[in-house]
Amino acid sequence: MFEKLKRRWNRKHLNDERFAFLFDEKVPSDEVVVFDCETTGLDPQKDHIVSIGAVKIKGDKILTDQALHLYVQQKEGIAHESIKIHQIRNCDLHSAVTIEEAIESFLYFIQNRTLAGYYLEFDIAMINKYTKKMFAITLPNKQEEVSALYYDKKISTIPQGNIDLRFDTIVENLALPRLKAHDALNDAVMTAMMYLKLKHTTKLK
Amino acid sequence: MIALLETLKAHPPFSFLDKTSFAAIEHNAQIAYYPNDTILIEPHTFFDKLFVIIKGMVEVNNHEDELIDVYRIHDVFGGIELLKNEASLYRYKVTEELICYEISHETFLKLCAANKAFKDYFFSSIVERFEMLKEKREYAAMSDLMMARVDKSILHEACILPSDMPIIESLKQMEAYNAASVIVKNPQGYGIVTDADLRYYILHQQSKNLLSLSDIQSYPVISIEEGELLFNILLLMTEHTIKHLPVLDKEGKVLGVLELIDLLSFFSNQSHLIAAQMEKASSLEAVIDAAKRVEIMISALHAKGVKSRYIAKLVSEINKKMYIKLFEMIFPKSWHDKCALVLLGSEGRGEQILRTDQDNALIFEEGFMPDNIEEVTQHFILALDQIGFPRCSGNVMVINPQWCKSLGGYKEDINKWIDHQNGESLINMAILFDSAAIAGEKDLHTRLREYLIAKTREYPNILAYFAKPVEYFESALGFFSRFVTGAKEHQNEIDIKKGALFALIHGVRTLALEHAIEPTNTILRIKALNDIGFMSKEDASELIEAFEVINSLRLHSQLEKLAKGKKVDNYISIVEIGKLERDLLKEAIKSVDSFKKMISYHFHLSMVG
Repeated sequence: MFEKLKRRWNRKHLNDERFAFLFDEKVPSDEVVVFDCETTGLDPQKDHIVSIGAVKIKGDKILTDQALHLYVQQKEGIAHESIKIHQIRNCDLHSAVTIEEAIESFLYFIQNRTLAGYYLEFDIAMINKYTKKMFAITLPNKQEEVSALYYDKKISTIPQGNIDLRFDTIVENLALPRLKAHDALNDAVMTAMMYLKLKHTTKLK
Repeated sequence: MIALLETLKAHPPFSFLDKTSFAAIEHNAQIAYYPNDTILIEPHTFFDKLFVIIKGMVEVNNHEDELIDVYRIHDVFGGIELLKNEASLYRYKVTEELICYEISHETFLKLCAANKAFKDYFFSSIVERFEMLKEKREYAAMSDLMMARVDKSILHEACILPSDMPIIESLKQMEAYNAASVIVKNPQGYGIVTDADLRYYILHQQSKNLLSLSDIQSYPVISIEEGELLFNILLLMTEHTIKHLPVLDKEGKVLGVLELIDLLSFFSNQSHLIAAQMEKASSLEAVIDAAKRVEIMISALHAKGVKSRYIAKLVSEINKKMYIKLFEMIFPKSWHDKCALVLLGSEGRGEQILRTDQDNALIFEEGFMPDNIEEVTQHFILALDQIGFPRCSGNVMVINPQWCKSLGGYKEDINKWIDHQNGESLINMAILFDSAAIAGEKDLHTRLREYLIAKTREYPNILAYFAKPVEYFESALGFFSRFVTGAKEHQNEIDIKKGALFALIHGVRTLALEHAIEPTNTILRIKALNDIGFMSKEDASELIEAFEVINSLRLHSQLEKLAKGKKVDNYISIVEIGKLERDLLKEAIKSVDSFKKMISYHFHLSMVG
């Protein structure tokens, strides 16, 4: 009830009809978009998006052939500390697009599909920061948090336990192949594998 | 690029592809997930894509539900069917949760059209694939070599002198250090003086009034920090045409000097070097030093794809030189023409590559029994300890009086062994039959072997008992050609010695004893069996090939264990090796199994208790 109201409120604010598809009620049922943003820091208010990686899941397949990997032009140079984490150097950003172009491409890519991710809340907040500015809306898509899926399957085995939700722990626990590269697309692909595996798992040891 | 794709590059057939082809795969491949028991392909249906396994396992069964094949990580299937446009004969079923790449039919055919080597891979026979695998290994070794880093072991001690030292004085120091260069310590940083600077000094000392090191040094010196890649260093030294390079620690202190010649010899094959070093060795320490380098040489040769039998040959050549040196240095002069030093077991057959154990014996001339035997033999075994030969668990060593006695003593043993056949006596006979004299009066050994062969001719019944142990261990292949793996810590591993190698070696050994064949080496024995007409050429080459495959895979796994600091044993992991290697191994074990049957039949083993 309240959700519906919020959604209508959100729709009313949309100031660019090109993106009306975001609010389309008919959602392709077996399709999900997994995405990940690399950012200059962990504060959605102050920090910027450096790159976005996204990949579609259709049924039990990860459509890596249609993956999205965008680098965003930076006004200031990337801080030394975050280069260490993402290994995106300023020189990698030559083929980069403006943040506005990136957000538009991203919206066209996701359409009205459900979004999934690891610590999705943060990535959504990063995107919303721009969609608010650009189109006066926040992302209306349904959301699925992969670490929450993991938590639910895990908690049934250790009801009182402390569950370690670190990315690497989940990868290891699900016996997934570990990827060396740490960029937005590879993280999205990893998360997509987690998502598929968890969808097929009823209980985790 | 997606990192999963990156790992494909290291495995054939994808290792044959170039950048453009990888981009094509990236834009067309999908990652699929299949839970357990999914049927991927039913018999008589067509593949519409190529499968590349990222994780999981797929079993292939024919219509009678017999297991035909198993595919695991990095394996590829569907290729040949797509290329021939034929329906699958088999059912492909997921038996362990599968994550795989799927490359569409069209993309795959385009890749094949653009890359001949890639396409040919799918049509190649197992033997051809084995050759490709060797190439791959060479590639891996090259990158290993590139990844090697500088450490202390390759450095020379630096001769560091203050910059105000008179040049003549410094030359004296250089000579004392036996150094090829002088590192000059300045108030600010280091300089270097090499032969080129000294030439300058000799030519210009008068005219330019050159006095102290600071007048002729090259300053500041080009140096590197420890831990730098050797390959980068080679580039640096080539770029600046320098032959001496100081290596600094993290604080900027000189650790030592790297000489270009050492670097180059590191990059080249070491066998020649070790052999020369062994021959020149004038002290026990020098012999031990040279022997310690053999292991590095083995890894390098194996990585280059050299067949294990040639590596074994090279190693036993070097070991031969080593034993001769040890014999000369440790055994008193008066013994040299009165006793024979003999190697037994795998060393006697010239088949030991890595040092798994030592088996040695002494044969004395009749009537020659010095009192200091114990002292001398202990000394000899201690030297082998230092070189890194583990002691023989069966105590077949010169320090055991049973393996250190007169020719007559051994002959008595042989008589006893033949009169009272039991497990131990047959083992001893086998050990002795594989012996080779390495130093001293070799004629003693020849006479002993001749006696052993003559005795078995006299009592041919013994051969069946001698052959019996061929049947002691079950084959490493069970029903439907599945591997029989070990328990607990050896899950997914097979004991290749018990499961195949022993039967092969022992069977060949028994035939060699029956036919009085002189060589001790298994391959030479098989060839001799072919020469005398006992074995057909096809059977002989099949058996040699099987021996080669097993030894090569065993060596590979032993080297990996060694690199990881694990215990070297006879287990081969069937999970860590690729599909190709698994298929080859199966073929090899099958050959050994049919050889075993032949031996059982030939010696009527079913009648021997």
